Amino acid sequence: MKKSLLPRSARRQINGWTMASVIGAAVVLLPILYVLTGLFRPANENWDKVKQFLLTDYILGSAKLVIFTGFFATFIGVVLAWLVVGYSFPLRRFYKWALVLPLAMPPYIAAYTYSSMTGYTGVIQATLRNRFDLVLPPGTIDVMSDRGAIFVLTLCLFPYIFMLTRVFLERQSASFIENARLLGHKPLSVFFRVVLPLARPAIMAGVMLVLFEVLSDFGVANYFGVQTVSTAIFQTWFGMYDVQSAMKLAAWLMVAVLGLFMLERLLRRSRRYASPTSRSNPLKPQPLKGIAAWGATLFCTLVFLLAFFFPIAQLVVWAIETGGTVWRSDFLDLTVNTLKGAGLGTAIVLLIAILSSRAARMFDSPFMQALTRLLSAGYAVPGAIVAIGVLAVFIALDEWLAPFYGMLGKEEGALVLSLSLAMLITGYVIRFMATGYGALEAGYEKMPKAYSEASRTLGRSSLATFFRVELPLLRGSLLSGFVLTFVEVVKELPLTMLLRPFNYDTLSTRAYQYATDERVFDAALPSLFLVLIGLISVLFILKAERS
Amino acid sequence: MSFVAVDGVTFRFAAGQSAVIEDLSFAMSRGETVGVLGASGSGKSTLLRLIAGLEMPERGSISINGRVIVDERVFVEPEKRGVGMVFQDYALFPNMTVADNIVFGLHKLKREERRLRLEEMLELVQLSGYVRRYPHELSGGQQQRVALARALAPQPSVLLMDEPFSNLDAHLKAAIRSELRQILRQAGTTCLLVSHDEADVDAICDRSLHVRAVEASDFGSAEFAR
Repeated sequence: MKKSLLPRSARRQINGWTMASVIGAAVVLLPILYVLTGLFRPANENWDKVKQFLLTDYILGSAKLVIFTGFFATFIGVVLAWLVVGYSFPLRRFYKWALVLPLAMPPYIAAYTYSSMTGYTGVIQATLRNRFDLVLPPGTIDVMSDRGAIFVLTLCLFPYIFMLTRVFLERQSASFIENARLLGHKPLSVFFRVVLPLARPAIMAGVMLVLFEVLSDFGVANYFGVQTVSTAIFQTWFGMYDVQSAMKLAAWLMVAVLGLFMLERLLRRSRRYASPTSRSNPLKPQPLKGIAAWGATLFCTLVFLLAFFFPIAQLVVWAIETGGTVWRSDFLDLTVNTLKGAGLGTAIVLLIAILSSRAARMFDSPFMQALTRLLSAGYAVPGAIVAIGVLAVFIALDEWLAPFYGMLGKEEGALVLSLSLAMLITGYVIRFMATGYGALEAGYEKMPKAYSEASRTLGRSSLATFFRVELPLLRGSLLSGFVLTFVEVVKELPLTMLLRPFNYDTLSTRAYQYATDERVFDAALPSLFLVLIGLISVLFILKAERS
Repeated sequence: MSFVAVDGVTFRFAAGQSAVIEDLSFAMSRGETVGVLGASGSGKSTLLRLIAGLEMPERGSISINGRVIVDERVFVEPEKRGVGMVFQDYALFPNMTVADNIVFGLHKLKREERRLRLEEMLELVQLSGYVRRYPHELSGGQQQRVALARALAPQPSVLLMDEPFSNLDAHLKAAIRSELRQILRQAGTTCLLVSHDEADVDAICDRSLHVRAVEASDFGSAEFAR
C-alpha cells in the first residue's frame, strides 16, 4: 500500500523506529511460535515411547522443582527481607546488600561445587573423618538428588525475592506498618496482616522470576540426575537425535511457561496496594535485643554462608590448587570466545532495545505496547525452547537460501547459517532482550518527554533529537543495560551448549564440561571467573538501587 | 488576514474517549499576545501542543502566516513549523550549559551568526554572565529566562508559552511578568500564553481566550474576552 494512501496518524507511525521494533519482535517471536507449532505436528515412534514411559516423570520432576524451590525461596526471601527492613540487629547493614550476592553464582556452578563438597572425599566428610573421627553413613548428605537440586536452586535464586521485597518494603510500606504498630499489633500480626499483603505484588514478581529460572534450568537438574522437561529436551535432541520429539517436549514446556506468564501479567495488573506517592518516608527499623537480635544475625549468616561464602571459598581453594594446570593456552581462547559471543549478542540486544523503546515512547499506541511486551517475553522462555526454535528457523532459512549458496559454489544441502555463530547470537538476543529493553525503557521513563519535544520545536528532526538530546541522557541506562545483559550471556549455559558451532567452547560450557567429566577441580578457575563477572552485575544492580 | 488561524479543531487522546477540544476556532494577528485561560483539564496546554505539532487533531485545520500546517491531509512535523515553545517545567537540557541550550535551535546558522545571536539573546534576558552554568545551577526565574531565550533565539513566527510562571514564587512572578511583557514587545513576537491565573494574562496579554472543558451539552468551547 502506498504510504500516502494511509490515514495521517498511521503514516506518522510507519517509520524506521517502528519497523525496527517489528523486525525485533519477529526475531524474538518466530522461533517461539515455531516451537508452539510442535503441538500440532504428527508424532513419530519415539514420541509415543516418550509419552508412554517418560513424560509423566519429566513433568513430575519439573513440577517438584518448581513447587518446592518456589516455596523455600519465597520463605527465605520474604523473611530475610522483612528482617533487614523492619528490625535492626548486628550486621544488618552488611546483610542488606550481601544477601543479594548469591545472584552472582550460576546455579550449575553451585551444583557441582556442593556435590563435591558433600561427597565422600569432599571437605565436609573429610573434615569430620580426619578431625573428629566421625564417619557418616553413606547417603546421609546426598545432594545428588531432587532434594539437592531444590537446595541449590533455592540458595541461588532466593535473592530475587529478597531484593524485590526488600526494596518494596523500604520504600512503600512505612506509614502502613507504623500505623499497624501504633494500633497495637504485635510483630507477627504486623507481618501476616500488613507486610505480607502489602508486599504481595513485589513477592509475586520475585517468585515468578524464580519459577521461570527453575523451569529454564538445565545445569543443576542434569548434574544431579533429576529428570525434568528441560533435561529431557536435551536428551531427546542429543541422546536420541530426535529433534521432532524434542520440539514436542519444548512445545509442552512452552504451554506451561505461557500459563505462568499470563498468571504473572494478571497478578501485576491487580497490583494496586502500592502507596501512590514515591515520597513516602523510609521505614525506621525497630531494634531487636538479646536472643532475638543474635537469632536474626545467625539466620542471615547461615543463609549467606551456604548460598555464597562456602561455595566461593571452596572454588578459591580448588582454583589455587589447580590454577597452574588449567591456565593453559586454550583458557585464553575460551575467554575470547565468551567475550566475543557476549559482546555481539549484547550489542544487538541493545540496538533493538534502543530502537523499540524509542518507538514505544514516540507512539504510545496499544499496538506498540503489545509489540514491546512481546519483545521482552523471552526472559520467561527456557533456554532449551529458544534453542530448538532458533535451530528450526535457521535450518529452514538454510533450505530457503540453498539456491543462493549454490551460486556461491557450495554443495547442495549445505548448512551455512545453522552451523554458524549467528545461530547462537540469535538465541542470546531472544533470551536476553528483556534485560536490555528493561534498562532502556527505565532510562526513557526517567527522561521527561518535554526534552524531546523542546528539541523538535527548536527545529531538530526526530533523528537529530535522538542523537543530540536523548542518547547523551541515556548513557547511564545504556551502560547498565550493557553490563546486565553481557553478564547474563556470559553465564548462560543451556543455550550455548545447544546452539554453539562445532568446537566452540565458552567459559561456561568448559566449566560445566569439566564438572560433568568428574574434573571438578579443573572447573574451579573458569567457574570463579564466571562468578566474578556475575558480581559486576550484582554490584551494578545494588548501585542503581541506591541511586 | 489573520496570522494564526485555528479552524474547527477537535482533539481526543484516544478513540472512544470524550473530546478534550471540540470544534475550536480562533484567530490571532501578527505581533499579538493572546492569553489562554481555563480550568485544569480544559485543554489549554493541548491547544498549544496542537499548534506546535506535538499532537495531531482529529478534525479541523491550523495555519500560520497563510501556510496550512495541519488539516485533513497535511501534517507538518514540529521542526518545520517555525514555532517556539516554552514548556511548563522549561525542559532545559540538563547536560548542556546555558549557552548550549540557547544555541540548540540555531544549527542552521553559521558559527559567527550563532555567536552574535547568543549574545543578543543573553542580553535580552539579562543572563550574560551565566553562559557556562548548567540548568541545575540556576534559580527558577533564571531557568525560565533561559527557556524563553532558547525559544526566541531561532526567531519563531509564533511563541507558545505553557504556564510559564507555575514554578515561580509569588514575588518573583510579579517581577518576571513585567520583564516578559517587555521582552515580547521588544522581540515583536506573536505569542500564545497559557495560564490558569487571570492576573498573568492581564499583565502580559493584549486579549484573552477562555476555554472550557467540553461537556455533552457544551459545544464550541472558546470565547474571547478583552
